[in-house]
Parts: sequence; C-alpha cells; structure tokens
Amino acid sequence: MKRTVPLMIVLVGGVLMIIQYFIPHQISQDIFDNYTIWVPIIGAFALILGVGSLSRLHGHKVRNKAPNWPYSLAVLVPMYLLPVFALLLPASVGGGMDPPGVYNFAYMHIQVPIQSTMFSLLAFYIASAAFRAFRAKSLLATLLLLTAVIVMMGQVPIGELLGSWFPKVGLWIIDFPNNAAKRAIGLGVGFGILATQLKIIFGVERNWLGGAGE
Amino acid sequence: MKENIWSRMLNLDRRWIFLCIGVVCIVPFFLPFGLPVIPTAHVISIFDYIENLGPENAIFISFDFDPGTDPENMPMAVAVMRHAFSRHIPVFFTANAPLAQGMLESGFAYVTNPDAQEYFHVVSWQEWAQYREQGITGRDELQAAWEADGNVLPENASGWVFEGRDFAKLGYLPYFALAILGMTSSIASQYPEDMNGNPLIDMPMLQEHKSLRDVDLATTFSGTAACMWWVTYAREKIGLPVAFGVTAVSATDYTIYIQSGQLVGQMGGLRGAAEYEVLLQNAGYVEKPDRAFIGMDVQNAAHLLIFFFILLGNIAYFAGGFHKKGVLLKGRR
Repeated sequence: MKRTVPLMIVLVGGVLMIIQYFIPHQISQDIFDNYTIWVPIIGAFALILGVGSLSRLHGHKVRNKAPNWPYSLAVLVPMYLLPVFALLLPASVGGGMDPPGVYNFAYMHIQVPIQSTMFSLLAFYIASAAFRAFRAKSLLATLLLLTAVIVMMGQVPIGELLGSWFPKVGLWIIDFPNNAAKRAIGLGVGFGILATQLKIIFGVERNWLGGAGE
Repeated sequence: MKENIWSRMLNLDRRWIFLCIGVVCIVPFFLPFGLPVIPTAHVISIFDYIENLGPENAIFISFDFDPGTDPENMPMAVAVMRHAFSRHIPVFFTANAPLAQGMLESGFAYVTNPDAQEYFHVVSWQEWAQYREQGITGRDELQAAWEADGNVLPENASGWVFEGRDFAKLGYLPYFALAILGMTSSIASQYPEDMNGNPLIDMPMLQEHKSLRDVDLATTFSGTAACMWWVTYAREKIGLPVAFGVTAVSATDYTIYIQSGQLVGQMGGLRGAAEYEVLLQNAGYVEKPDRAFIGMDVQNAAHLLIFFFILLGNIAYFAGGFHKKGVLLKGRR
C-alpha cells in the first residue's frame, strides 16, 4: 500500500499533466489551474518538514556542542527571529518588512554584501586558476588556452583596442563551435530527462520512493 | 631540482595574484579609462525591439537573481527599466525567489530615487485615484490631467510613472515556473494583488494586458538557469518573445537560443549591461551611461592582468624547460 498509492498518484498525475498540455479546452485548463493551486499547498507542507528537519539537525549540534556548533546557532537564530520581526512585531520596535526594520536591515546590510562578496571572490580564484591551468602543455591544452584568451579579451573594450579581430573571432567561437557543442549536449540531456521522467511516471524508476513499503 | 627565476615564477604565491587583482579592481574607480563600449548585435536586437514598443504594449521585467549576481544583473534590469519608463511602456515586475524580490525593490528604488539625476517620479496607485474615478486612465490624458492640477515634474526627473498605468510590482510567487505557466492564461489568477496590496484587476494596464498572450516581451535577468523557465513555459507555449540578461559565465549557455530564434537577444554580463547603457545614451534617453559602463574599466584592467598572468606562466613554463621535464615543481601555496 505504501508503494502502490504513491505510484498510482504519480502515474495518474503525470499522464494527466502530459495530456492536458496538448488539449486547448476549458476542462483541461481547469485541471491545470487546480494543479497550480495544489502545488504550492503541498510545497507549504514540505516547508514545514524542511524547517523541522533543519531545526532538529542544528538543535542537536548546539545541544551537544558539536564541532563548529556556533555556525548552527547562526542558522537557527535568523531563521526564527527574522520572520518574527518581519511578520509579527510592529514597526515601532523594528518590525515589518520595510526600512528601517530589522528584516530589511538584515537583508540589505548583511545578506546582500555577504552574497556579493562570495561571488566577487570568483575574480581572485579565476585569476589564480588561469595562471596555473592555462599552459600550452599539449595541442588540446593550447587550443583551450587560445580560445580562453580570445573570448576573454573579446569581451572587453581593451581587447578591441589591442586587436579589432578579438571580439569578431571571440563571437565566432561562441556562435559556432560553442553552440554546436552546447546543442549536442542539450539534446542529450533533454532526451535523458524525458526518458527518466517517463520511467518515473510509469513506475519503472522507483528510487524516489526511498525505502517506503519495503 | 635547482630553483631559478623561472621555477620561482611558476610557483608564484597565489597571494601575489590576489593582491594584484585587488589593486586593479580598485584603481580604475579613481583613474577611469572610459574606453568606448561598442554595442553588439545580441544587445542591439533587444534595444531595437523595445524601441518599437509604446504605451499600448506591455513588457515583463523579471528579477530572477539574488544579491550574489547583483553587480552584473542589476545594471541590465535598471537599463531596460529606464528604457521602458522613458517610452511609457507598461511594465510588470516579477521575481522568481524571495531574495530576488529584494532585488526588485532595490532596482526600482534606484530608478525612482528623487535624490538622483534622471530619476522617474512615482505617482502611487492611491495618488491618482480621483482621475480613475473620472475615467481618465489613458497614458497621455492622465499625465495631462495630473499636470493640469498643478503637479510639476521636478527638475532632476525624467518623467512621471503612474502605478497601475506604467508599472505594476507583482513580486515573488513560490514555484515561479508554475506562475509563468498560469500567467499564460491569466495574470490576475496568479497575482490577485500587487506587492503593495493594490487590486491588480482594477489596474488599467492589467485590463489591457490580461495574460502573457497580451504581453509583447518578457525580459528576465538571472544568474541561474531560472531564466530558461520563460523560454520553456512562455516562449514555447504561447510564443511570447523573451530576452535574457545573464551573467558573463553563463552567457555562452544561451546563445543557442538566439540562433534558434527563441530569444530576441541577450545581454551577457557587465559588458551587455554597459552596451545597453551606451545605446540609451546614443538614443538620448540618458545624459551619460550608468554603473555598468563605469564597471567596465575594472573588467578591462582585470582581464588584461589575467592575460598577463597567463602569458607569464607560459613564458616561465617554456623558458625554464619544464615542457621537457614533464613535471612541475611541488610546494605551491
């Protein structure tokens, strides 16, 4: 029962949604509209499960003073405190979602700079990696090196200044060799996704059930 | 193996590289080069497409990125927003994630900041309620009536933007891919209210553009593959024209969709945003380019430095004879 019911739901739901996509009729549209309402509702339950699981995991680490337990505290405190400030407390004590509330401050002055900093570190690592990796050790490595340099220099005005052919050749590399490879990979991935999803819908692939019913 | 200048060069401490990158990222802000940015076909096609739209059309600007890619994606979204506002094209603003909604707020605040030059002065939904009651909802007649009542556009402003007529901030919805699919039938079914709690169904721009089928372009600005939702669920289902603004690292992933005709065009990284800013300047919408153009100086310097490091590494590799020995020295830091 634990396996049959979920498999039946997936089979009926999956086949229905495939058929629905190709039928431009009001009944078909109503089915789709209902589906779009159901999904966020189901998702809301998954959210409760996720928050519960995260709290249990990190709560356990904090209680047992596990290695790096302060990081767990850094997860739990904002997770519970920010919704309280955003949704429950009045603006007079820093509540609400608008400035100068705590929620807005945490977003604009903590989260935004942290994420921007993390992403900008890429520039430093790319420079270091380029210095180490782009060596003309073999024919293929030389091709990679030349392609990288041409595309990179073609992306910036100073490249155009050094040689007007940089952007032209760079664009040609992107538009032809790159696109050909991307399209081939995309088609392969697409067929793979289609096959996997059909296997899931028809119950051939059952790993997503975990150990239920065994 | 005996150490020499070439081996020392090959084993250059990465902290020197980090220091050099740090320096070249900071210096251009104080000593700008201002090298010209020449717009490319992929960006010109988006600009031209929007240039042919007007108040009777509508576009979507979707903030599908988080703060991590803000420096690249935000200038693109801001440039398109300025273009649309200048041409009185109604704009629906959406976001694909809770953090992206913050980006939406931030970008909108930047373009409508009264302290900035060339900002757009917002007239809120409530402020022009009396005109709606009189049946004045057309773009030109609304502005005429508004100004006839003594409202004067501030000197540093580029124009008025009326909430519900020129823009609607729809914001974030969970399972945004489904929201896009749902909007192909009805925008109001997915968003009964806007971010400020205003009823969407009463807004003139929604009455004229009820679903994505009545919309002329969706622009999505993204640092992830989320931008593809617009192609999969809107372009392929109802033929909605879509344009991308993506980070430089992912730009090459999507050029296949330009070639196949599924995308109007694409802005790739800061360069793409700078190109759009230059196009806005050339068309007379702004006096000077914005943040992306300034940022291009940093990219120029950083790319040149990386080029130099690659060159240095290869000179040391061959001059030191390491291509013969086959093994590089150990002990990198």
